[in-house]
Amino acid sequence: MPTAAPRLHMQGIGKSFGGVPVLSGVDFTVEAGEVVALLGSNGAGKSTLMKILTGLYGRDAGTIAVDGETVDFAAPSAAVAAGVRLLPQEISVMPDMTVAENIFAGDLPLKKGLLFRSVDDAAMRRRSRELLDQLGFGAIDPDTVMKRLSVAEQRIVEIARALAGQARILIMDEPTAALTEQEATLIFRIIRRLKAQSVSVVYISHYLSEVFEISDRIAVLRDGRNAGTFRTAETNHADVLAAMLGNTVGDLYAEGGAAKGEEILSVEALSLPGKLDDIGFSIRAGEILGVFGLVGSGIEVLGRAIYGALGPMKAGRIRLGGREYRPASPVAGKRSGIGFVAAERKKEGIIADLTVRENIALSFQERFERGLFVSKSAETSHAKKWIDGLGIRTRGPEQRIRTLSGGNQQKVCIARWLVEGVELLILEEPTRGVDVGARKEIYGKLRDLADRGFAVLVLSSDVEEVAGLGDRALVLDRGRVVGRFGRGATPAQLMAATSADPAFHAA
Amino acid sequence: MATATPATISATRRRMTSLLGRPWSGVAVLLVFYIGLVVVFSVLSPFFLSVRNMLSIGSNVAFIGLMAATGTPLIIAGGLDLSVAAIAGLTGVVISLLHMQGLDIWLAVAVAVFVAAAIGWINGLFTTRLKLNPLIVTLGMMSIVSGLALVMTGGLTRPLMVPGFNVIGQGRVFGVPLPLILMLVTFLGLWLVLTRTRFGRHVYASGGNAEAARLIGIPVERTVVTLYIVSALSGAVAGIVLAAMLGAAAPNSAGQHLLTVIAAIILGGTSLNGGRGSVWGTLLAILILGTLNNGLTLMNVSSFWQDVTRGVVLMLAVSLDQIRSRALGD
Repeated sequence: MPTAAPRLHMQGIGKSFGGVPVLSGVDFTVEAGEVVALLGSNGAGKSTLMKILTGLYGRDAGTIAVDGETVDFAAPSAAVAAGVRLLPQEISVMPDMTVAENIFAGDLPLKKGLLFRSVDDAAMRRRSRELLDQLGFGAIDPDTVMKRLSVAEQRIVEIARALAGQARILIMDEPTAALTEQEATLIFRIIRRLKAQSVSVVYISHYLSEVFEISDRIAVLRDGRNAGTFRTAETNHADVLAAMLGNTVGDLYAEGGAAKGEEILSVEALSLPGKLDDIGFSIRAGEILGVFGLVGSGIEVLGRAIYGALGPMKAGRIRLGGREYRPASPVAGKRSGIGFVAAERKKEGIIADLTVRENIALSFQERFERGLFVSKSAETSHAKKWIDGLGIRTRGPEQRIRTLSGGNQQKVCIARWLVEGVELLILEEPTRGVDVGARKEIYGKLRDLADRGFAVLVLSSDVEEVAGLGDRALVLDRGRVVGRFGRGATPAQLMAATSADPAFHAA
Repeated sequence: MATATPATISATRRRMTSLLGRPWSGVAVLLVFYIGLVVVFSVLSPFFLSVRNMLSIGSNVAFIGLMAATGTPLIIAGGLDLSVAAIAGLTGVVISLLHMQGLDIWLAVAVAVFVAAAIGWINGLFTTRLKLNPLIVTLGMMSIVSGLALVMTGGLTRPLMVPGFNVIGQGRVFGVPLPLILMLVTFLGLWLVLTRTRFGRHVYASGGNAEAARLIGIPVERTVVTLYIVSALSGAVAGIVLAAMLGAAAPNSAGQHLLTVIAAIILGGTSLNGGRGSVWGTLLAILILGTLNNGLTLMNVSSFWQDVTRGVVLMLAVSLDQIRSRALGD
């Protein structure tokens, strides 16, 4: 019976934030030299689980054992010392330093000098070469300045950095997100080598096809609980998706309105080098079109391109409100009748120091003027109208927007565009960082706005949001439209479209 | 029961931070400080508290106040102009040289004002289009402009005695010095623009969150470039006032006052991070710094000590700004 203890054994892990349980009773096991994919939709608890494992968060319940030894990482450095390494989703390198310096930045080898200890360049270079060799990339010169490498090569150096020292468990969070398909195969090659060296890998990815290619086992989380573990060789996409998402959308979403009006926006052959490829679709008044895609699929740029935030577009034909329209700038987009709500509310949405009233009036300030001067009473009555209309919870129009909750800030960002003349609302990630209650409200309000005659374009990486909210849905993958769905599409269908797996479509 | 329990301490701190966090608290604190200063100097010096001395303070700070007034919206919008005082110096030089060449004095003034506007426009283009750090751009411009002024005069002071022109610096309306009136009108105008107009909203939005402002279709670049031009123009007006007051144009007459200009804006509660500030705070700060100078001079304190005092006041003000920022939850 007593075979070797598993490399990693997390048992009964529980965690809550402010009384809201995020993880409850989660078990997670990885054997030595095994690649386990950790799957789950946004908010399922993947990243919380990994943050507990790497010592970033404490846990409320459960035990963690590495190679049979119970551990308790009080800080990320303790996890690193025990050989648990994390490769974060965002590439973070020092572009002006060499490859070797990047690999050893956290732990520079030193040598005794005459007066003080100095960096042992020779040792650093030698060990960098060994590490890169070990990954099968001896061709990368340790003396190269980092910024001269391709994104994929930078990724590889990051992996080398994570492996410097004794790595036993490597957690890779969406390691291929910024890479092309071909570059992604380099990462897979490294994972296979690591396996052979008996390093365990936790692989987090949204791309099912990748997961099926590289993993030995698939562990699925849903709403902070285990939702199934599968041997990769013995399962299929449909079962995994069902575990991840279920087949129901729930009652978070309002019923779609029936009557649709005339066509507001039509896009043909819209392209942006390296980002968007031959995109075409249309939206009618009263309709919500959801566009789903993963990180890097093009959803981050599609809305901006149409609005004009990316400057003049060279390729593609767009008609807006029956007229030819060329995206040029946000000013032009706004004048043509487009409202745009950006994904990063804090960085790109609110003006934190201004009041709710000022934030709402700002986008069409010229409409709240009397002669040369701003009319505060006109601003106030307009702000009050939409504070009521969208159910913004605030002490009043004079409250500073920074003191509102995320969901209410988002409603203010929407309210900015609700003036005469705006026909199309483009929203990126409309409920990112918003709690469930406020999400439901925002979905309801978007449906109300559509019923009032707005055409609504929602771009989101939350598959359930797109499936539930949209009258129709598009799926983007690597800049192309890879799926078109009518109302009633399930999250699993949308997700499957991104994976572009013929076997699944046949099923 | 005067023992300070942790609860009362934290309650006091909460009250303090909530007080400091109010939008008007900065200006109120300055007003109290200013009144305190006036009281102290009135007690210490019999010459201090007189209409004559107050007006003299006003006319001494006027040209500095002009530059600080327009510097305030610029910093609120996320910019910074270190070249403004150098532009003031160059303006006087250009006017005196052109006038000596026989050009009509008002034409010479027009040329100098146009040159200043062009310099401001260049500052604006470099910081917005090329996205260069305004500190570096305007520091370079300061060096260029003050260097040119020295080259053009050989470093010498040029006389500029034209009665019609000198009135700008020396004239009085109902006993009030013209420069002081000019400064107060500028502050009043900028206050109206900042609080009551679309452009004013654009200023606060551009400095508060430039990317968000751009994405809601606010012409951020145009707003900032305009402010650089306005700042340079105020430098020109300050240079005209100074040259008219002195009856001479000295190439480096205004450069030494740059620190006071920036100090006043920061002391006035304008955040160097942009997005926050008011011209009234700057005006009070100008009066405080001018009063400090005047009072110390009346008490025969060496002018070298006055630099020290100004520095101490500035650092206190910056600390206060930091505390205010935290109170507001940055």
